Amino acid sequence: MLILLIAVLYQCLPLPSCLLLSARSYRPPGEVTAIDKPNDSGSVIRLEWTLSPDDETIDGYTILRRTADDTVYTKVGSTIHGVAGFEDEKAQDGVQYQYVVAAIKNGEMVSSEPTAMVTSYPQLFHTGRINVLLCIAAFALTLLYFVFRARTGQNLFIRKIAGLAAVDEAVGRATEMGKPILYVPGLGDIDWTATIASMNILGEVAKKIALYDSALIVPNRWSVTYTVSKEVVKEAFVSEGSPEKFKEEYVRYVTEAQFGFAAAITGIMMREKPATNFFIGRFWAESLIMAETGAQTGAFQIAGTDSVLQLPFFVTACDYTLIGEELYAASAYLSREPLLLGSLKAQDYGKLVVLLILFGFTVISFFGIDLLPILRVQ
Amino acid sequence: MKRKLPLAICFFMGISMMIQFFIPHPTSLNFGSMIYKWIIVLMAFALVLAIGNLIRHHGFKIQKGKEDWPYSIVTLTSMVAMAIIGLAWGIDPDSLYQSIYLNIMAPLGGTMFALLAYYMASAAYRAFRARSLEATLLLISAFVVMIGFMPFGQYIHPRFPAFAEWIMKVPNMASQRGILLGVAFGSIATALKIILGIERSWLGGKE
Amino acid sequence: MKWYDRITMIDRRVIYLLLTVFVIIPFFIKVTIPQKIMPQTRRLFDFIESIPPNDKVVMISFDYSPQTQPECHPMAKALLKHCFARGIPIVGLSFEPEAPGLAVDALVSVVQEIDSLATNREDSLVYGIDYVYLGWKSGRIAAQLDMGEAISGVFPRDYFGNLIDSLPLMQATKNYKNVAIVIILASADYPIDWIRYPQTRYGIKVGAGLTAVMAPQYYPFVQTGQVSGLMSGMKGAAEYEKLVLDHGYARTLGSAETGMNSQSMIHILIIVFIILGNVGYFFSRRQKGTHK
Repeated sequence: MLILLIAVLYQCLPLPSCLLLSARSYRPPGEVTAIDKPNDSGSVIRLEWTLSPDDETIDGYTILRRTADDTVYTKVGSTIHGVAGFEDEKAQDGVQYQYVVAAIKNGEMVSSEPTAMVTSYPQLFHTGRINVLLCIAAFALTLLYFVFRARTGQNLFIRKIAGLAAVDEAVGRATEMGKPILYVPGLGDIDWTATIASMNILGEVAKKIALYDSALIVPNRWSVTYTVSKEVVKEAFVSEGSPEKFKEEYVRYVTEAQFGFAAAITGIMMREKPATNFFIGRFWAESLIMAETGAQTGAFQIAGTDSVLQLPFFVTACDYTLIGEELYAASAYLSREPLLLGSLKAQDYGKLVVLLILFGFTVISFFGIDLLPILRVQ
Repeated sequence: MKRKLPLAICFFMGISMMIQFFIPHPTSLNFGSMIYKWIIVLMAFALVLAIGNLIRHHGFKIQKGKEDWPYSIVTLTSMVAMAIIGLAWGIDPDSLYQSIYLNIMAPLGGTMFALLAYYMASAAYRAFRARSLEATLLLISAFVVMIGFMPFGQYIHPRFPAFAEWIMKVPNMASQRGILLGVAFGSIATALKIILGIERSWLGGKE
Repeated sequence: MKWYDRITMIDRRVIYLLLTVFVIIPFFIKVTIPQKIMPQTRRLFDFIESIPPNDKVVMISFDYSPQTQPECHPMAKALLKHCFARGIPIVGLSFEPEAPGLAVDALVSVVQEIDSLATNREDSLVYGIDYVYLGWKSGRIAAQLDMGEAISGVFPRDYFGNLIDSLPLMQATKNYKNVAIVIILASADYPIDWIRYPQTRYGIKVGAGLTAVMAPQYYPFVQTGQVSGLMSGMKGAAEYEKLVLDHGYARTLGSAETGMNSQSMIHILIIVFIILGNVGYFFSRRQKGTHK
């Protein structure tokens, strides 16, 4: 009679109640929590639970949910055993849901206690990215501070950069030999930082060329860079009071194909035999072809790139090489413009802060404390 | 106005996209998605600009009979021919376009890259001399890494590959990280300067 | 001229001629030298091995040009063979304008090779179900970020003009949540953009197959786990081919193995020249020192 009563109750009552009536050998998961997933665009509810004590013997877990108006639970997903979390990505914002997680074996389920009602909604601010916001704000304020300080006329020190000190010598050499100067602004498009730095340096070099009355060749890979470099060179000649000395053929658009561009540069070097070559900007595998050809023609070569992997090739083939940040410092160094000097100072202080943080974190890690999650971007 | 309008657009869009990064709300995500699509379209127009520049540059050379003008005819003819072939007969795996690409374009490109081997050999022979302590260290590292990464390096000495790996993973990685950090700050500073209008060289010259 | 001065001034043309001869020799004298698998190659292989079949896709960004075909094309083929043999669907795309031709060639050649061995429909590969090639797209970073929300928003049609929503594989692959890993095969700095933007924002796993010159730049990222695995140059391709062969996913090694023999010969030649140059330099310096 008792067995009959249990069988009837099992058939009639909703699923969660079967927990009380099950005579199975495995137990359900415990402590099921359901929360709105933080820092998302909504429609996701995160569930976590404690694994069933019989986790190793079951097939997995089934996740079921119902709305406040429903009486029946419907399946929304499943996981294999050993997994204690699930994200329901099909929730509707503003709708209340209730979940149960059932341990499943051979198609039969044993359910947990239901969770409290939970609703998903989109967040307005990603709290996991506060670290990024703080870093950007701190660096931007530092940048603005030093830029304004430089604008007040304060002298900001930059150490001597050998490659840049040789620019005058390089241009003078070409003038004496009556040969042109080749300036390759890299193979990166205008959105590369190195290309922007290169444009700044090109302006300063073009001013010296206008002063010494030398010839200039500036081949470009990208059409936008070609337009910008033409304006930069033209303006440099105008600022030196020699607009009539500027020639259209100084700045050329070549090709976007990487090695086609390299072939064009080597062709220019072999035919026109420039006395000085500048390789300033972003380079890839073609760098050695150009630098080595220039070395073979006997040209004086100054290179500058933030492409770490091309530095060895430039170092072996060129007379001077600007390494990494020296390229960004170059425009400030040559022009002594307050804005550029100020931003350089801000970069240096930023690096110092980062080094101190890294050193501090390393020391702290020896005590078993891992602070790296603070730096992680979510 | 010619400079003020682009600066204003740059400032507004730069700040907007920075703010968008911190707001996970669907409105923000949809805004971001729309901007990305606009960027894709604008970048495609840069190609049109590139083609126009190419035609103008080489057309000028042909018209004025400048040096090497026959090569300009080859360039323009090749560009037009490939465009027509692709548009008219398609770009399927067995199309004429694909055939020309694999049998002309690919070998030509491979030939250019193959030059690197020759230049590397002559540069290595010329430059890898133990002139100083630094040059000697460079020389030894180059030897160890070259031998270590060759398949039969392990037969010369079993520890060669491990030592080569150590050079790549410790001193090489440490120095790269240092340069990367500096470059990263340079990039952030330049990006902020462009957004805030401090850096204006991208407009073409200074004000 | 003394002998030690001569060996410091060997004509470039002699170097180039010897280089050419040494490259060609391995094509006639076949030697197979066992490859030692580098840890980063194995990591990539093991990651692909851990992906359940017919679950998430592997996204391959074909971003190499004909210039670097000898290094990257064998990587592409080995990777495709591995994924197809494990029943992992492939979604291909490109951000390098010169890449689509090579991407199609890699896909077609591998698919044809697998289909030629298929005995029934289940063993063969069907476009739109087992693999899709989306083609080239401009605005690289913007496209990578937008795919985090919806791939179909960036690629409404595939490379062959089919509507994305009409392809069964793309109906199941909405965004990066359905992508197990994106593997970038490149000769330029494309992987760094995937790490900086989509990985930071959406947490997508990134792997790479790069030319030997580019690969060392990504060692720091492999160490931190930001790059789940890396094939480095032709050696990496040869190693991956060997792993694929050893696990029974292919019947023969690919072209990288032959290329490695030529590369080894070149390395020996360069080492010999460097030694000669330094020997001559030392003797020359000693003589100058003696005369002083």
